[in-house]
Amino acid sequence: MFGFLLGEALRDLRRAGRVAVSAILLITLSLAALGAFWLLSSNMSEAITQFRERVKLLVYLKREPSPLDANALVERVRGMPGVAAVRFVGKAEALGTLKQLLGKDAAVADTIPQNPLPASLEVTPTAEGATLEGVRALVTRLTALPETDEVGGGVEWMERFAQGQRLLWLFALGVGSVLAVAAILTVTTATTIVLHARRDEMEIMRLVGAPEHVVRLPLLLQGMMQGLLGAMLAIWVLVACYALIGPRIEPLISETLGVARLTFLRPHNIVALMAAGTLLGGVGGFLARGRPEA
Amino acid sequence: MIELHRVWKVYSVGPVKVPALSDVSFRVSKGEFVTLCGPSGAGKTTLLRLLYREDIPSEGEVEVLRQEVSSLSRSEVAALRRSIGIVFQDSKLLPGRTVYENVAFVLRVLGTPRREITGRVFDALRAVGLSSRAQAYPAQLSAGEAQRAALARAIARKPLLLIADEPTGNLDEGMAAEVIEIVRDINAGGTTVLFATHQALLAASLKQRTLTIQNGRLVKDEG
Repeated sequence: MFGFLLGEALRDLRRAGRVAVSAILLITLSLAALGAFWLLSSNMSEAITQFRERVKLLVYLKREPSPLDANALVERVRGMPGVAAVRFVGKAEALGTLKQLLGKDAAVADTIPQNPLPASLEVTPTAEGATLEGVRALVTRLTALPETDEVGGGVEWMERFAQGQRLLWLFALGVGSVLAVAAILTVTTATTIVLHARRDEMEIMRLVGAPEHVVRLPLLLQGMMQGLLGAMLAIWVLVACYALIGPRIEPLISETLGVARLTFLRPHNIVALMAAGTLLGGVGGFLARGRPEA
Repeated sequence: MIELHRVWKVYSVGPVKVPALSDVSFRVSKGEFVTLCGPSGAGKTTLLRLLYREDIPSEGEVEVLRQEVSSLSRSEVAALRRSIGIVFQDSKLLPGRTVYENVAFVLRVLGTPRREITGRVFDALRAVGLSSRAQAYPAQLSAGEAQRAALARAIARKPLLLIADEPTGNLDEGMAAEVIEIVRDINAGGTTVLFATHQALLAASLKQRTLTIQNGRLVKDEG
C-alpha cells in the first residue's frame, strides 16, 4: 500500500510541474543559506574553542621574588579558583625569550645596561574559567595580590567574536525563516495545484470508501518529497561551494581564526538539514491538505 | 438493504427553501432490482446521494445496509461505501489511466493485496465484455465501452449494492441495452441494484419494480 501511495505522490509531483520545481528551489535556497551560516558558525565555534584553550594571563610582578618566594607565589595562585596551570618566568628567562624573538638582532638586548623586563607569572585558566566572567574574576583576584604590578591578557576580544557568532546565527535564523515561510507557501501552492489536478481521483477514492489517510497521504508525501529533494540539492550546493571556495579561503581563515582547516558540516548537521527540508515540505503539503475545497 | 422513512431534503437558496425530496419512504430488499424513474430534476440524484451519504436528509431516516447513514462518522461512511458500487451518467473514468488501471486503482486504494488485483480486474472486465480493451485509455473508448468500464470498476470490489445513476443517459439504444444486460447479470449474481433513469420507456422495458419520482415526491411504486 505504501508503495502505491508513494507512486501516487510521485505522479502528483510531476503534475505540479513548474510550481513544484519553484518550491524545491526555494527550499534549496533556504536550507543552503541556513547550512552556509551553520558551516561558518561551526567553524567560528571551533576557533573559539581553540582560542579558549590558549587563553593565558600574564601577571607582571613588582620585583623578582627569591626562588622560595616564587614557589610559594606559584602555589598560592594555583590554589585560586579557575586556575589550571601557573608558570613562573624570571627576569633572565624573559630576556632569553626576547633574545630568541629578536633572532639576529639579539645583540641589541646586550647593549641595555640592566634587564628591564619584569618577572611574571603565566596563568592558564581552566576550560570553564576561560569565559569573560571567569577571566574577569581571575584578573581581579590576581590584581589583588601584593606582588602584582599589572595583569595583562584577556578574553574581551574573544567574547566579542562569540557575540559576532551569535549575531550571525540570529541573522541566519532570520533569513532562513523568511525563506522557509516562502518555501512552505510555495509547497502549499504546488500541493493545491495538485489537489485540483487530482480532484477526480480523490472523488473516486472517496466514493469507493478509501480511508481518509489513503486519500490524503499522497499529498503530504509529495510535499515531503519536495522538501527532501530541496534539502538534498541544498547539501549538494554546500558541498560544491565547500570544494570550490574552501581551499581558496583556507589560508585567510587560518590566519584570522587560527583554524587549520575549514571543516564541513558534520553528519548530524546534514541529517538535520534533510529533516528540516522534509518537515518544510510536509508542512506545505499539510497546509494545502487542510483546505475545505479539497 | 435500503429503507427510507419520511425523508425530506430541502435546499436553501438565500431565504427561499427549495424541497428536492418531499416525504419519501420506500424499502428495497436484498437482491432486488429496482428502477428509479423520473424526469430530469425530479430528485433521483438527490435521493441516490443520500444513500451513499454524499448528502444527509433534512428530515427523516435513511437506512442502508442496516445503518442509519446520517449519523455515521467519516470512517463509517468510508466503510459503508466499500459495500456500494456507484456508476454515474458520465463514467468518471480517470483520463490519464488505462481501463485496467482505472479498475485496479479502486482496488489498490482499498488495500487489496497486489497479487489479487490483476485477477479481479480481469474478472470484472470479462463480466462487462471489455477484457480486450484493458490497455485502452478512456478517450479511446466509445460511450458504451466507457460506461461498461465504469461498471467493471464498480463491481470489481464485489459490492452488495449497486447504485447506477442514469448510466444509459448518454447512450444510444444498442449501447444502453448492452449496459442494462450487464447490470441484470450483476443483479443475478446477488447484488442489489438501484437503477435510476429518466427514460420511462426504458424503465418499463426492464420489467422490474419501478419507483416513480416527480417533483421530489414518490408518486408510484409498482412491479
